[in-house]
This record gives sequence, structure tokens and C-alpha cells, in this order.
Amino acid sequence: MTFVILAGIFALAPPTGVNAYDTPNDGGGSVTVEWQLSSDDAIIEGYEIYRSEEGKDYDLVGFIGRGRTRYEDETENDIAYTYQVAALNNSERFFSETSPPVMSKPQLFDRDATMLLIGMIIFCAIILYFINQARRGKKLFIRKITGLDAVDEAVGRATEMGRPILYCMGIGLVDYIATIASFNILGEIAKKTGQYETPLIVPTSDPVVYTVAREIVKESYATIGRPDLFDSDKVYFVTDSQFAYAAAIDGVMLREKPAANFFIGYFKAESLIMAETGASTGAIQIAGTDQITQLPFFVTACDFTLIGEELYAASAYISKEPLLLGAIKGEDLGKIVILSILAIASVIGLLTRFPILNLFR
Amino acid sequence: MKRRFPLLLVFIFGIMGIIPYYIPHAAYQNFDNGLRNDFLRILSAFAIILGLVSLMRVHHDKIKRKRENWQFSYVLIIGFVVSGIIGLLGGVEGELFLPTRIAGFQFDIQTLYLNIIVPLGSTMFALLAFFMASASYRAFRARSLESSLLLGAAFIIMIGVLPLADRISTHLPSFAQWVMDIPNVAAKRGITFGIALGGIATSLKIILGIERSWLGGKE
Amino acid sequence: MKVIEYLSQLDRRIVYLVLAFAVMLPLIIPSVQRVRVMTPVAKLFNAVDAIPDDRILMIDFDYDPQTLPEMEPMGIALLRHAFQKRIRVAALSLYVQPLGLAKRALDQVTEEFNQRATSYADSVIYGRDYVFLGWQPPPIVPLLGMGISITSVYTRDYYGYRTDSLPMMRRVRNFNDVGILVSLSGATAPLWWVAYSQTRFGVAVGAGITAVSASEFYQYYQTGQFSGLMIGMKGAAEYEELVETKLMLVDRRKASEALGSLTAAHLTMIAFIIIGNVGYFVRRRSRKGVVK
Repeated sequence: MTFVILAGIFALAPPTGVNAYDTPNDGGGSVTVEWQLSSDDAIIEGYEIYRSEEGKDYDLVGFIGRGRTRYEDETENDIAYTYQVAALNNSERFFSETSPPVMSKPQLFDRDATMLLIGMIIFCAIILYFINQARRGKKLFIRKITGLDAVDEAVGRATEMGRPILYCMGIGLVDYIATIASFNILGEIAKKTGQYETPLIVPTSDPVVYTVAREIVKESYATIGRPDLFDSDKVYFVTDSQFAYAAAIDGVMLREKPAANFFIGYFKAESLIMAETGASTGAIQIAGTDQITQLPFFVTACDFTLIGEELYAASAYISKEPLLLGAIKGEDLGKIVILSILAIASVIGLLTRFPILNLFR
Repeated sequence: MKRRFPLLLVFIFGIMGIIPYYIPHAAYQNFDNGLRNDFLRILSAFAIILGLVSLMRVHHDKIKRKRENWQFSYVLIIGFVVSGIIGLLGGVEGELFLPTRIAGFQFDIQTLYLNIIVPLGSTMFALLAFFMASASYRAFRARSLESSLLLGAAFIIMIGVLPLADRISTHLPSFAQWVMDIPNVAAKRGITFGIALGGIATSLKIILGIERSWLGGKE
Repeated sequence: MKVIEYLSQLDRRIVYLVLAFAVMLPLIIPSVQRVRVMTPVAKLFNAVDAIPDDRILMIDFDYDPQTLPEMEPMGIALLRHAFQKRIRVAALSLYVQPLGLAKRALDQVTEEFNQRATSYADSVIYGRDYVFLGWQPPPIVPLLGMGISITSVYTRDYYGYRTDSLPMMRRVRNFNDVGILVSLSGATAPLWWVAYSQTRFGVAVGAGITAVSASEFYQYYQTGQFSGLMIGMKGAAEYEELVETKLMLVDRRKASEALGSLTAAHLTMIAFIIIGNVGYFVRRRSRKGVVK
């Protein structure tokens, strides 16, 4: 009797309100256990989580520190589990009540991504609308992009001087958006250089990018009726090592002395090394990248720089293809929608923070 | 068919690439992981062979026609062959059957990489400081209001991050921090929004086959 | 006037030479520069300092030799902080290259503490006070896998020991037991930790980054996705300052010593820019005078 009374006096409070549920928006195999903190949380070591599978004995499955009220357990799907949480102190355990049984199941749709999906559908719908408008013959205005207007000037200059053009695609892999945008521009520039028979040098830093670039240049020359111009030694793979590639590009610029350099694609720290070396040779330089950190270097060292999405718009701008222009209009409208939402949200945020508004609360 | 088949492949794989973000089910996630981790890697491994063949052909041609600096092509080819043999037959740390140690001199591929490639890469990276100096000396001119603002901001940041900024004014480091925190981030965010939307639009155009420049032009 | 015009059109090789001397001199005569600690570094320090006893500090060593001068002092300062406060550390790397550099930093700080230790309890013991998990390809595996179980992703550590046999790892299951993860990277690895691990599992993330990529990370720091930031050499020096002043731990401060070179380089570039602009304005004025 005394022992029972003493045990009652010195017992610590167990956690309460234990609830277990299938972890939402996952591929199954996970149950989340939640509970309310023990009132003696400050003095315990932590909580042990026990699990029973289909009514069998409870096994210890996890430990979590004090102050925490949530634990994710790895489970097998379609098996009923029940949980208990024990407050642990000096090897003594104070158990909670048992949770209701729960089964983990895989979800087919991630509900957390709903807003993202809606946003994507709306944005794609806007783009498709404008593409459709372009298809119907509506004239779409695109503002002047100086860097792209300079492409003709650069090609012309190289032709007059009898020097080649260097086209550098950066160190991106073939699935990078900047590299894909660069492919699009390469095709257009290859057609222009083909018309004037100006040599085009395209050193690449990735084998897959090399194979695609080679085919693009070959097809571009074929499109303008000059397949004989294609020189497989002018489009080649150098190395995938970042600075070795930069050294190779520098070497090409100093030896071949191209009249125009294009740096279009994904670049990292090697951007300034290449651009500054090109500037020292006196070439006209046009750069374009979506790497924000490299933009200042290109702006400083190059004559023209395509910033961010100007790079993605380049293909449409150069070719003047209506469908491509339509997509750019759609993109711009999408940006206006986002900016409007941001502006409205900012105004609301500012208004709710004015101290004077406290008078009305 | 020559153009339709790649366009069809791009459409199918493009849609398949979007789906994993919305469907957490293990069946699809495992399929997507297999596609990215296995299929793409195998493809890249074969593409390396094409790249290397191209590289060797370019330099072989340079040697044959005795073009400018053709001697350096020998350096490249010999380096390629020697490191290929050491790596393939000697292993990363000399664990395979080719001996990669003579007395105390080690020449396994890891040693070669750490002692040749890494210092060379570090040297090239270190050159950046000098190129930055010459680029800013040559190009930073207060020609207009915008370039003057740019110059002013550059001075504030360059001095603000130094320990001596505190001695010039106690407010200078905080002001430099404010320029990095507020106007800089605002500008970068604006560019990031544009890039993100541009990326979605470009991807959509490619998946739907509207953008076909990567195929070499339209027919 | 002619002098100014000459100075504003210097051969770039002279610029390189002057810069080289300016950078080398403070390295030959090193001195520790004291710095004012800014908020991003202070927040990171406080976040590490507040790690409870039952959680660990996880450090992702993700820099290569090119960014070593900026990043290694960060790693060393973090380790000194953790070991001084008896915070347990798990070190890892997402790639192979930084493994040797991570080991170098761990070995250096461990030796510093063990040389000062007076008892077994004071010492820094592998397996009890820190573990080096090593590397697991591809990078996405630890980013997502450690949210479920760290020892399942890293079944063996860098040295080949079973991770579940190490004393420290017996009570460390997954990201729930990580107080904060600090990614030291010259690239975008900290953003991956935020995008994958923090989004899925809620782990707090801090970052140590190179100065040139700072602008890319500030927006994530502003939104609270990074608990704190160390930026470049100066960020490392600020953390060293905090370790010395708040924890009374005096050791060699490499980043603080290098600030002398940084200062000299910045001032040299500013001087050249000013000279260039003075020459530009002088020429512009003389051209206007000729036109009149």
C-alpha cells in the first residue's frame, strides 16, 4: 500500500492525446504520431515511441527529445498499427494511452502541390492562348533587344574581317534550360554564318551537348542549302572540367582570333576568364546566361548581354517565328499577373502594419 | 518520321518529367528515379565515347596538317592515353593489376588528379581576381546616371565588407549590408521570376514541339 | 594631365603586377583583422549555440580545392564552436572530392582540442563526439534518405565502421535529431538542402558560401529558409570572432589573417577604378574643349 502511494507521488505525467494517422501526400510507408507534451516535459529525457502490429506486442520504434510532439514512423502499407508514447526518465517509462489503429497508404496526388498545379495550368493556358492568336495571324509586338539586334552586326563584322565566329555554350548539361536556349540560338547563327560562309567554331564541354550541337549546325547548313559548309572539326568536345574548358576557350580566342564571340548558355566562375580574354583580343562579344551571379561579369566584359529570359526569347526574336513570339507574349502576361498579385499583397501588408491602424482594432 | 519521332519522344518524356511532382505514389516515383538515375546515366556514358572520338580526331587532324601549335596536340593525346591506361588498368588508388608506384613515387589516377588537375584548376580560379581588376579598371566608367549609380554601389559594397569600414563610419557596414539585403535581393528576385517563367514557357514550347531549333530548324 | 591620361590607359599587365604585390604583402606579414559581426553570421552562430543536448550539428563539407581558402576557415570555426560546447557533430559530403578536405578540417580541430584536453571526458573522441559519415551517391539519396534514417543511408562511415554501432548514432535517427544542418558549399548545395530536406522534413539549414555567389542566397536567407549565412572570407572571419569572444577560445584565425589581403585587393581595385574614371573625365573635357 505504501509502495503504491509512493509510486503515485513520484510518478511523472505521461504524454496525452496520442493520435496516429497516415502521413499525407506521400508514397506510403509512413505513419505520423502526434501527442501532447507531458506536464513534466522539462525534466524528462525524451519520449519513446512504441508500436504494435495488428494487436501483437508493442516494440520500441523510435526516440525523440523532450519538447517534441511529432514523430514519423516507417511502416508497411495496409497493416493496422497502434501506438503508445512513453515519457522516459532515468530508465523509467510513463506510458500514454493507445492510439486508434492506423494504416499507411500511398497517395495518388500530392495535395500540397495543388496551388502549384493550378498556377501552372493558368500560366500554360495564357501561353497557349497567345500562341493561338499568333497562329491566326495577329501581329504581336516585342520590344527591341539590343543584344540580339547586334547578332547581325557581329556576323557581318566577322565576314568583312575574314575571321571566324566563336560560339561558346558554357558548361551546362543538355537538360539545362540555358543550354537548350543556346541550341536554339546556335541554329539561327549557324544559318546566318552559312549564308556568308563565315567559319563557325563551337567548342563544347559536354559530350551529349557536343552531339546535339553538331547535328544542329549540320542541319542548319542543310536548311539553307549549303551542307558542304559543315566542318566536323569546327564543332568539337573539349573537356567537362570547368577551368580546363575556360583555358581551352582562351586558347582558341588567342590563336584563331575570332572577330565575334558568343557566350550563350550556363556559366559559372569561368565566365569572366573567357570574357575578359575575348575583350583583350578586340572581338565583339555577345553574352547571355540565366546565372544571376555571372551577369555582372558579362555586363562588364562584353558589348551586349542578354539577361535572364531575354536569352529564352532570343530564338523567337531572331527567327521572328509568330508561334514563338506568341509564347513570349504569354510569358509577359504571366509576369504581369504575378507582379499584380505581389503589388496587391505588398500594399495589404503595408496597410496592416501602420501603427495608426491599431486605433481601429 | 525523322522529325516526328524525336518530337514525340520529347512530348512523352517531357510530360513524364512533370508528373512526379504531383504523384507521390511509390510506383511512379521509383519509375522516375530509374529513368533519371539509370537510363540517363547510361546514355551519357555512351555519349562520352562520341565526344572523345571527336576530340581525338580534331587533334589528329591538327598533327597531320601541321596546323599552328600542332605540337601541343601530341601533349593532349599522350596525356589522354597515359591517364586512360593508368586509370583503367591501375584503378583509382592503384588497387588494380597495373603497378602505380615506383619506389616512393606514386602515380595512380587519384594522385595525378590531386597533384596536377586540382592545382591547375585552383590557379585558373585564382586568375579571376586579376581578370576582375582589369575588367573593372577598363569598363567601370561613370558615363551615365545608371553607370554612376552602379559605380557608387560597387564602392560602398567593396569598402563596406572590409574591416576598415568600421573605422571610416560605423554606419557603413550596416549600409552595405542593407544594399545587399534589400535592393540587391529585389533586383535578383525580379530576374529570378523572369527566368523561372521563361523556363516554363521554353519547356512548354519544346514539349509541344513549337520550338524546333534544337532539331536543326523547321521543315 | 599626360600622367593622368597615361595612368588611365595602363597595360593590363601592370594592373596584374600591382594587384599581385598588394595581395602578397599582407600574407608575408600576417596580422589578425578584427571585424564587426553582421546579422547573418550572428544568427547562424546563435542557431548552432542553441542546439539542445539531444540533437546534433550536421555539417555538409561541399567545397573543392578552388574554394578552400574561403570555406575551410568556416568549417574549422564551426567545429571549434561545436566541440567547445560539447555539441556532437556528424560530417558528410555530397560528392567525392571534398572528402579529403573534410577529413583535413576534422583532424585539425580534433588535434587542437585533444592537445589541450586533460582527461578522457575533455577529449574529442571519434564515435562519441563526432562521426564522419563520408559520401553516398547520388546526392539526392542523403538529401531525402536521411529524413527517414541516417544509418540506412550511411550504413558505414568514412572509415568503414558500421554507423549504427557508433555510440553517437545510437540516439540519432534522422533529421528530427539534427539541430541544424550547415552546408559549406562553393556551388548550390545549400539550396538543395532547402529544396529537398527542409521542405520535406523541416530540418533547419544554414549555409557557408563563397562571396561571389552571395547574391543568389540572400533571398533564401530573407525568407528564413536559411537560419544564418556565412559569406566568403569575411563571413568566416566574423564567425571566428564570435568563437573567440563568446566562447573564449583562442586559436589561429586563418580567415581573419587573410582579410589583410582582401582589404589590399579591394583598395587596389578601387584605386584603379578611380584613376580610370579621372582619366576618362579629363579626356572628355579636353574633347569638349576641342569641339568648342
